[in-house]
Amino acid sequence: MTMPFAIKDCALITRMAGVDSALNLRELRERLRHCPLECLFHHFCETVIRPTFDDPEFRNDLAVWAARDLRDRVLAERLGIINPYLLSDLEELRQTVIDIVDDHLAELPYIPGVQLGEDFRFMRAVTVVFDTGMQLTAPGDLARMLPQMSLSSIYFHYVEARRRTLDRADDFTSWLKQFGDEAEEMIETLRSIDFYFMSLPELKAQLVKAMSRFHPESVRA
Amino acid sequence: MRRTLSAYEPVVGAHSISQLRQLATDLAGARVVHVNSTREGGGVAEILTWLIPLMNDLELEASWEVIEGSDEFYRVTKAFHNALQGSSQPLTGKMIEAYERTLEMNAVRLRPILSEADFVFIHDPQPAGLFDLCPHKKGIWLWRCHIDVSHPNRRFWQYLKSKVSSYHASIFSMPDFAQSLPHPQFLIAPSIDPLSEKNCELTDSEIAATLERLGVPDDLPILTQISRFDRFKDPVGVIEAFNRLSPSIHARLVLAGGGATDDPEGAAVLQEVRESVNGNGRIHVLELPPDVHRTINALQRASTAVLQKSTKEGFGLTVTEAMWKGKPVIGGNVGGIRMQVHSHHTGFLINTPEGAALRIQELLRSPALAERMGRQAKAFVTENFLLNRHLREYLTLMLGVRRGLTNHLVAH
Repeated sequence: MTMPFAIKDCALITRMAGVDSALNLRELRERLRHCPLECLFHHFCETVIRPTFDDPEFRNDLAVWAARDLRDRVLAERLGIINPYLLSDLEELRQTVIDIVDDHLAELPYIPGVQLGEDFRFMRAVTVVFDTGMQLTAPGDLARMLPQMSLSSIYFHYVEARRRTLDRADDFTSWLKQFGDEAEEMIETLRSIDFYFMSLPELKAQLVKAMSRFHPESVRA
Repeated sequence: MRRTLSAYEPVVGAHSISQLRQLATDLAGARVVHVNSTREGGGVAEILTWLIPLMNDLELEASWEVIEGSDEFYRVTKAFHNALQGSSQPLTGKMIEAYERTLEMNAVRLRPILSEADFVFIHDPQPAGLFDLCPHKKGIWLWRCHIDVSHPNRRFWQYLKSKVSSYHASIFSMPDFAQSLPHPQFLIAPSIDPLSEKNCELTDSEIAATLERLGVPDDLPILTQISRFDRFKDPVGVIEAFNRLSPSIHARLVLAGGGATDDPEGAAVLQEVRESVNGNGRIHVLELPPDVHRTINALQRASTAVLQKSTKEGFGLTVTEAMWKGKPVIGGNVGGIRMQVHSHHTGFLINTPEGAALRIQELLRSPALAERMGRQAKAFVTENFLLNRHLREYLTLMLGVRRGLTNHLVAH
C-alpha cells in the first residue's frame, strides 16, 4: 500500500528582519554575523519566488546589492557564484559569505559604502502552505501533473523542501522512494537538475521536459 | 460595479484565482474591517473599493468604515501627512487635541464593529489613534501605512509611533519606509484593479470624445500628469520641464487632478499651477472631480508618455495605471516610483525639471523607444502590481499573523 502525494501550494509575505541596515561593507559583515538564519534563506533562496523586473543578473540579494548599490563588481561576482544548496546548512552559508566579505575588505584600502537610501535592508519571509486538492497516486502521475502545477507549488516541493527534509531531498524524491526500483530513474532525473541558477519558469520547463518521458501516455506511444 | 473574482480570470489567469480561493479557505467567515479617512479620491479609497467585495467573494466578512471629521481635523491630518513625508512644521497641543477629539467621536460610533472584528486594518495616520480607543478588542489590529515615511519629521513620527506601537503588526509599501517599531513590519506593495473604470479598455472613439469634451486638441503628442494638486507631486516642476523642451518639440501637456475630501491644500496648489501656466495654450490644467475615472483612463490612454514628477511618493498608483495602459513613465526618483519605473526599461527616473525635459524629448523623438518601454511596462505591471498579487499577500499576512509568526513556515 503506497501513500498518495498531496500537492501543496504556498504564498510568501515579506517582513523586515529587525536587523539594522548596512551602509557599508563592514556594517554588512557585522550584521551577517548575527542576523537570523531566515534572513540568509530569504536573501539567497526565496529570491526566486519574489517579483522582480526581469531575471536579475545575480540570484542572491547580497550580490545584487554589491553590484547595483556598492558598485563593486568584483565582490558581486564572488558573492554571485555561491550556491547555498551545495553547502551543508545555512550556518555554513553565513560563514562562506562572511569569509568572502572579509577577504575583500582585506584587499581594499578603504571601506566601500553607499548613500542613505541604498543601504542593505535585511528581510525575511513567512511562507503559508495550503492544499491544492490535487493528489498523485503513482509515479507516472508526477509527469502528468507537473505542467498543471503552479510555480509556487514547484518552489515549495522542489526547492523549499530541501530546507525541511533531513536528507535535503525534494518532496517528489522523498515520495517516489516508496516505489523502489520502479521510480529509481525518475529520482535520478530529479536529482540531476542543477536548479539554483534558474528562474522558476525555467525550472518548471526543465522539470516538465525531463519528466515527460515517464508519462504513461508517452511510454505507450 | 461590484465584481467577483471570476471576472478577473481572463486578465490574471484562472490559476491565480483558484490559488486565492485555496488560500482563503482557512479564513472563511473571518470578520475583517478596513478603516480609512475618505471614501473617494486617492489611492487608498481606490484599493478598498475593489478589496472589500473581493474579500467577501472569498467568503470573508469584510467591511469598510470611514472616519468623519471637521475641516480642522483634516487640516491637522494633512499637516501630519506632510510632516511624515518630511515637511518641517510644528506639532502643537491644539493640533493633537483636534486629532484626538475627532477620533474619540469616531470611536463611539465604530467601537462595536471594531471590537468584534477578527482583523482590523487601519489605513494611514488619520485613524491610527483608534487602537487605544477600543479597549476591549478581540481581533488582530494591523496598521497599514501607505505614505513615504522614510524621513519623517521626528516630532510627528514620535507622536504617531506612540499611537501605532501597540498594533500587532504594521504594513509598509516598501522596505525604505519601514521604521523602528516594536512589532513585525510587513511589506506589501499596492496594486490596481485592471477592470475598474480607470483601467479598463476604452474605444478610440471614447478617448477622442473625452479629449474633445475637455478641450484638449489631439493635434500634437500629449504628455500627462494625473495627480492631486499637491506640492509633493510637483505640478509646477512639470510645467517647468515642459517649458524647457527644445523649440523643435511640439506637444501638449495635461495636468489633471482629482480632489480628495481629506486634502484641504488642493485649492491653493491649483492656484499656483494656474499662475505657472502663464498663458501657454498648450498646457491644459484640468480640475476634475474625484469620481471621473473613465475620463482619467482616457487621458492616460491618449498620452504618448505619462509623468509623475513627485518629490515624495508613497507608491504612485498613477504610475501603475499608466504602465498598465502601455505608457512609458517619466517619474521622480522617489518612493514607490523607483519600484515601478526601471530607467531605460519601463520609463525614466528623473530628479529635476531638466531631467524630465531631457527624457520627454527622448521619448517624443523616438516613438519606437516609447512603444518598447510601454510594452515592458505593461508586462511588469501584469506580473507584479495587479490586485490578485495584492489580495494574495493580504491573505498570507492574515494567516501568518493569526498563527503567531513563530515559524517561517505556516501550514493550514
